[in-house]
This record gives sequence, structure tokens and C-alpha cells, in this order.
Amino acid sequence: MLEILPEWMKDGIGDDLLFWLGYFTNGKHLAWYASVQYTLLAAVLGAAFALLFGLGGATLKNSRWLPLRLIGSGYTNMVRGVPDVLFFLFFPLAFEQLVELIRAQAVCTPETLADNAGRWPPCDAANWYLGTNEYLLLACVSLGIVYGAFTANVIHGAMRSVPRGQLEAARAFGMSTSQVLWRIHIRQMWVYALPGLSNCWMLLIKSTALLSLLQIADIVLWADRLGAPNYTPTAGLVHPDWRWQYYLVLLVFYILLTFVSEKVFAGLMRWAGRGTLVARS
Amino acid sequence: MDIVSPILTDLQLLAKPSLFNVYFAVASIPAGFLFAIFMALGKASRNRLIANLCRGYVYAFRGSPFFIQLFMFYSLALAFNVTLWKPLGIDWLILHPLFLGPVILTLNTTAYTAEIFHGALQAVPRGELEAARAYGMSRWQQFRSVTWPHLIRIAWPAYTNEVVFLFHATALVYFTLPVIDDQKDLMNKAGELFERDYNAFLHFSVAALYFLLISLVIFAIFGLIYRRLMRHMPQVPRLRLAVRWLG
Repeated sequence: MLEILPEWMKDGIGDDLLFWLGYFTNGKHLAWYASVQYTLLAAVLGAAFALLFGLGGATLKNSRWLPLRLIGSGYTNMVRGVPDVLFFLFFPLAFEQLVELIRAQAVCTPETLADNAGRWPPCDAANWYLGTNEYLLLACVSLGIVYGAFTANVIHGAMRSVPRGQLEAARAFGMSTSQVLWRIHIRQMWVYALPGLSNCWMLLIKSTALLSLLQIADIVLWADRLGAPNYTPTAGLVHPDWRWQYYLVLLVFYILLTFVSEKVFAGLMRWAGRGTLVARS
Repeated sequence: MDIVSPILTDLQLLAKPSLFNVYFAVASIPAGFLFAIFMALGKASRNRLIANLCRGYVYAFRGSPFFIQLFMFYSLALAFNVTLWKPLGIDWLILHPLFLGPVILTLNTTAYTAEIFHGALQAVPRGELEAARAYGMSRWQQFRSVTWPHLIRIAWPAYTNEVVFLFHATALVYFTLPVIDDQKDLMNKAGELFERDYNAFLHFSVAALYFLLISLVIFAIFGLIYRRLMRHMPQVPRLRLAVRWLG
């Protein structure tokens, strides 16, 4: 990385600084910086899934049919009674096993099944190898399931906060039920939902720290590797345990992420609430 | 196929691990509660320095994942092992997960609870405080007889949620801290059972059931306390579980 610097600049900044600049731009550090993409991708994709599940959950909770309503409130309550990390670990595992079970019906022969009795997968041919991308996608879905439950509550509450008069006026204009729903109800709902959605997003970005539990080489895993005491037979002890400094960097990274999100959501709320009378704090 | 008996076996196997989660929560809640009162008062302090320090603390701990906090404080404790804990002869205590876990949980819950208490502090009726001052009450008397009773009643529903979320956060402790001998918590034990027979549905569901049941017990206990706190009111408002609000 240092090669791109011109010679005069190298002379100017001194050997000490040059050493550290070189150290912090070596291959492993660059991989660390690059792994931020997993965290951000998981946050954005997870939020998209959460919004999807949230809208679905809110629809179920609003349903006129009792069983659907029960499923909706069951979903939102169950996820809140159980830690997010449990879902985070359980869902990818369960999904993988389900796929392998279905595959096993097709590809396994009685002999291979008998060979592998009591073990998983049922037979070697049914094994589904999951790479980083697959795990990342599954992680996003499980984030979506967990925070979708929170989002469903937020959206459910926001749907009920839309003034009745607005809907009645829309109906009086001769709009059909779906027109009222899509053009008036859901559009106005966002203003009331935004503060709650902002909280869900904050929780979600904080849970992206859990990605390393699914063997994704994310920023947490890299920080652990880079900070661990580094000993090589030729050079001796390169550096002692530096892990807490690396974790401190992560801590600051997440605080900054929260700070930026706060500002963005404040701007969004101002934009969404323009022209309406919504009490702001 | 018999469905009930493996569930019963799992319920038995996970009973002891669930106590570790309960221990982590019980060990950190009282300390966090106490520190949070001071932190909330500090955040509302007129002294700029104290107010800003408290605000920074609360913002930092609420703005970063608990998972990272665990990693950072554990590695921090490790880094000072040779220079500080070993010479003092307290390394066995500091690095013990049953001590370090509650310490980090306390640091975390202090921030969240302080934010709740600070919000409640803002909602204490001004008029009553002025009346107390007019009676010539000292600062301590004002706090004891006006501020505190209001604060705890306003904050209790939100504090209940925080305690439930803290209990859920205990699931993360052993992903970072070392497990000594058989001191496994629910997640460890469920993971171990899963590795034995690859039955994710059974073991994780039973672990989830434990979390759910203990959460409900927390709700019941805190609901009773809330009823007691609100016994002067004609009708006690019901507690509801909401998201751990931020901001």
C-alpha cells in the first residue's frame, strides 16, 4: 500500500509514522477494513427483511380473522420473549437442516443412510455446504425475523395513530378500500412509525456484531485475529496482546454508526413530518 | 415417535444451566439499579463537567453492542493480568467469568437504566418540588419524599423491560468469557447438546422456552412490585413489554 506514496512524502513524514502507516495498511488490516462491508450489508439487508416481516406481522395483527390475528401476536410476542442471539443461531441451523432433510429424500440411498445413522447430514450427498455468502443471507433473514417482530409492533401502533378523519375523508371522496389503504393509510403511517423504526434500526445495527457467531469473517473476528499476541519463530514476539485496543476501535465505530443513524433519522422525521402537526421532542 | 420424553429430558438437562443466566441477571441488577440512580442524577446535574461525563458514558454504552463491550472489557482485564491482577493476587477473582460477567453486565445496564431514570426525572412535577422547597426541606428530604417516589413510579414499566432485556443479554456472556468446568449457561448447554445429536429444533426450543418462562416470571414479579408502588391509585395501569427504546 505504501508504494503509492511519492518519495518526497516518505521523507517528509518520518520513519516512525511510515512504519505505522505501513503496518496499518498491510494485507490483514486491509482485509479488516474490507470486512466492514459484511456488517453494513447485514444491517441494510436485515432492515429490509425486518420491514417486510414487520409489514406482514402488522397485517396479520390487523386481520379480521381471529387465527391470523393470533399468529400475528404470537410471532411478535414470542420473538420478544426470547433473546435475539438464540434466533440468530437457531434459524440458519434449522434452515440448513431442513434443506438437507429435503435433499436427503432425493439423493440418499438406503445404504448411505444406514452408514450415517445417528449423524447429520443423513448421508454425505445431502450435505449442503454453506459459504460466507449463504451464511450472510441467512443471518440477514434471521435479523429480519427478530427485528421484524419489533417493527410489526411499531407499524401496528402507527397504523392506529393515523387520524380516523383522514380515512373517512378518503372514503367520502369515493376511494376504494385498497386505495384508502395504499394512498392514505400507509402513506400517513410512516410519520408515526419513524421514531419507533429508528429504535429498531439502532437495535439492528448493534446486533450485526453477532455475525462472527456464524463463521463470517466480519470486523469482530478480524479484530480478534489482528489483536491477538503475534509470535513468529523468526521475529520473536511481534506484538503482545493488543486486542482491547482493536475492540475499542470497534466500539467507536459502532458509536459513530449510531450517531450518524440518529442524525439521518432526525432529518427523515423532519422531512416526513413537513406540513403535519406532529409533536416533536 | 415419542415427542414428550426428549423434551422432558432436555428440560432436566437445561435446568442447571438456566440458573447461570439467572445468576448473571440477579448479580448485576441491584448494582446497576444503584449506579443508575447516581448516573441519572449526574446527567441532570447543573455541573457541566459531571453532566457531560455522565451523558458520554450513557451514550457510549447505549450506542455500542453489548457483544463488543464484553469482548473489550474481557481483553482489557486480560491485558492488565500480568502487571496488575497477578501482583495483587486477585487474578482468580477478576478473570473469573462469574465475577467479570456481572461487572460488564452492570456497566451496560447502568447506562440503559440511567437513561430511563433520567427521562423519568424530567417528568417529576415541578410544582411538587417547589412546594417541598417552600416547606424548607433539605435537598436530601426533597429527593427522598418527592423526587424518588415519582421517579420510580414513572420509570418502573420501562425499567421492567430493561430487566427482561438484560436477562436476554446474559445469553451472550459465555460467547466471550471462558467456560470453567461445567458452569455452562443455557446457550452453551443447548449448543453442546446440539453437537451431540444435531437436533437443533429440540434443544434450542427448550432453551427458548426457559428464556420465555423466566422472562414471564420477571414480568410477574415486577408487576407485583408495580401494583405495590401504585397502591394509592384507584386503578393500576398494566405493564406492557416494549422495545428497549433508544433516544
